[in-house]
Amino acid sequence: MATTTPIMEVIDETEATGHGRPPVSVIYDWITTVDHKKIGLMYIFYALFFLVVGGFEAILMRIQLAVPNNHFLSPQVFNQLFTMHGTTMVFFVGMPILFGFGNYLIPLMIGARDMAFPRLNAFSFWISAFAGLLLYYSYIGASGLYAAGSAPDVGWFAYAPLTAKVFSPGHSTDYWTLGIFLSGVGSIGTALNIVTTILCMRCEGMKLNRMPLLPWIYLVMGGLVFVAVSPLTAAQIMLTLDRYLGSHFFDTQAGGSAVLWMHFFWIFGHPEVYVLVLPAFAFMNEIIPVFSRKAIFGYPAMVAASVGIGFISLGVWAHHMFTVGLGPAGNTFFVFSTMVISVPTGIKIFNWLATIWGGKIILAPPMMFSVGFLFQFLIAGLTGIMLSAAPFDWQLGNSYFVVAHFHYVLVGAILFAIFAAFYYWYPKVTGRMMNVKLAHWHFWLFIVGFHLTFDFMHIPGLLGMPRRIYTYEADRGWEILNLIVSSGAIFQAAGTLVFVYNLVSSYFKGENAGHDPWDAWTLEWSIPSPPPSYNFAIEPVVSSRRPLWDIKHPEDQDSEYE
Amino acid sequence: MQEQDHEIPHDSHGHGASVGLADAIHLPAPTPWPMVLALGFTLVIAGMVTHAVVSVLGLVLVLRSSVGWFFDVFPHEKHISVSVEARAVEIVSTRSTIAQLPVSEKHRQLLPLETFSIWAGVKGGIVGGIAMIVPAAIFGLISQHSVWYAVNLLAAGGFVSWANQSDAFLAQFHLNGLLAAAGIHALASVLIGLLYGAMLPMFPRKPILTAGFIAPFLWTGILYSALGIISPILNARINWLWFVISQVAFGLVCGYIVNLQVRVRTPQFRSLPFSVRAGLHTDHPQTKDDDQ
Repeated sequence: MATTTPIMEVIDETEATGHGRPPVSVIYDWITTVDHKKIGLMYIFYALFFLVVGGFEAILMRIQLAVPNNHFLSPQVFNQLFTMHGTTMVFFVGMPILFGFGNYLIPLMIGARDMAFPRLNAFSFWISAFAGLLLYYSYIGASGLYAAGSAPDVGWFAYAPLTAKVFSPGHSTDYWTLGIFLSGVGSIGTALNIVTTILCMRCEGMKLNRMPLLPWIYLVMGGLVFVAVSPLTAAQIMLTLDRYLGSHFFDTQAGGSAVLWMHFFWIFGHPEVYVLVLPAFAFMNEIIPVFSRKAIFGYPAMVAASVGIGFISLGVWAHHMFTVGLGPAGNTFFVFSTMVISVPTGIKIFNWLATIWGGKIILAPPMMFSVGFLFQFLIAGLTGIMLSAAPFDWQLGNSYFVVAHFHYVLVGAILFAIFAAFYYWYPKVTGRMMNVKLAHWHFWLFIVGFHLTFDFMHIPGLLGMPRRIYTYEADRGWEILNLIVSSGAIFQAAGTLVFVYNLVSSYFKGENAGHDPWDAWTLEWSIPSPPPSYNFAIEPVVSSRRPLWDIKHPEDQDSEYE
Repeated sequence: MQEQDHEIPHDSHGHGASVGLADAIHLPAPTPWPMVLALGFTLVIAGMVTHAVVSVLGLVLVLRSSVGWFFDVFPHEKHISVSVEARAVEIVSTRSTIAQLPVSEKHRQLLPLETFSIWAGVKGGIVGGIAMIVPAAIFGLISQHSVWYAVNLLAAGGFVSWANQSDAFLAQFHLNGLLAAAGIHALASVLIGLLYGAMLPMFPRKPILTAGFIAPFLWTGILYSALGIISPILNARINWLWFVISQVAFGLVCGYIVNLQVRVRTPQFRSLPFSVRAGLHTDHPQTKDDDQ
């Protein structure tokens, strides 16, 4: 028997007046908007655009590596491609898409009308967007080692002394430095907004221990951004000073230190992995319980694990530098700190499994991608523990094993979680359901392609294939493996095209979603789809972590147990 | 299953006609200045790699947008009014609800009402760590006639230069060895103590067997396989019999101390009726612990 509880909601009639307006007026609306939902969507669209760009760069690289002695690309272009691919995917896909989801969802989930600083929110988005455009303008405007139109080619972590003026003449490296610098300003602004919104704008009754796990994790992520992005910004300024004003921070020949750059970069770089993966955890925390029809298992442990991951992740950066020669004390510390992070991460995996265990599982598209996430994130974590052992890392550092490991995290875990989030919240954003059949095509094409690419990528790494290698001889035993790896990229590209087609076609032809198509429990599902500009006409009052469960099941409310 | 009406939450500012709502809601006004300021900053920076004129243009945009943004906020923040009209939306579960089997008074899982506090584990770890020193010192006295031998062996993992030192060297007193060993031992003891504090409530049936033997043997097994990587020096000289004895000493003492500590109430206790919490009634649900 279904339990029904009528509550009053409101509709915004002004929303309906948007149809039929001239395009200029619509564009002006988007450019001047300070609405968190529109800004969130702009973040997502912009990230999806760069996802296609970065994916295209990856495919070009995989064509180059598919067969030995290949000259499909020149070495110079190959160097530019792996630099731009890495930089794009981390700074202009991963960060913005996760900020976009956060922007859209956090006020809705905590019962607020907007972010704490709406104008700063708009500024943060636009400066991040312009940073991406500035970076890619290097393809047209940079004067680099190969004359005008030279994209950066120093790798996404741009080690010194390669970035010194003498080895990177012209401006291609400067475009990289300045693009990342501007992106960092936007990231700090958004993190400030996220943290302030969550701490100050929760609705009545939503104590911290009743807050959904998604805002909790974004709170941790915001704190990490403060601590991690600042050293990167400082390092970009120092590098700019080195290149323009003749300072010697990273110039080893003049008393500087190339290792100093590595420390600065990786004290950003490893927490950055958690900045990216924590929101993926957040999506899982919302999706898995709904499609298992159970409350999340171990809410306090999940919060503690998130905070623990955030804290420990600040102390593991030098595991990227084992091959530098850190000495026994440094090696010991960073081996153990890296291994310790598997404890809170393991807690999360066990809690997700415990949530699924005994639940009434619904394998809708969001849950299918979530299951893929769980399996792949586990594998990624296991290879991470292998690489955390310094002697193992000495053998396989900078090999394709490492490339396979971090793509397992970034694609197998984070991208799968993002796909799950798209399928889960698309009905809320558009008011339409995505096509399930196309979603299945997307899932199976992508998961087959993913495993063809990244499972097999471990093996050439174990056989000694170094990352960033331009081409290779036929007698190394890598050729069949690389062909399989490259063929997987085709499946992934096909899956992504199906996904993009589904996004567009469902917007026009999808079934009406209603306000709560998944029978979910958090506040965003209590308002119409798409939400009105003010989110909640009446400020909600909550008394448990699942306010909609309480309304739907008044005879068995969570508030009696929490 | 009973149905019940739900209280409609009211907006603190709301005076609407039909449902206590405001007729209009104020939202921050759209503004182009954040975008223009971001563009200005980008152009200022881009001028470094293109042309100075680009930076000048950027500077102009920065100044203009700063003024525009200022007047967006001062003296009063600009708002737009969005009109609203009420309608009723039913929040309803689309799934059918099945009757619960009468397995207990309440169908939800019963979680422990009491557990050990985190400090129980810390105290257990400290006392267990002290107890563990005794067999370790006896081992040093028997094998090398020095209580410092075990101390230096533990510390040796942190000093690469000790890799080729003789047993005689390791039997001498070294201040840095003592400090390093004390740090390693204290940290490990407290962490294992915390693990005991967390684990023991999960295995309440045979605490002596769990704390004093199973956990030390598991821990020894893990270390046996990993010690060659963690500390090759210790791995080459360790006497596993004495190691197991010291681990058992730690486990028994630590487990005893943890069990001595007063248990603290979990959040589940707060959901009990007042009469039960106040001790007036004892008809709280039975737990596994109560059976023993």
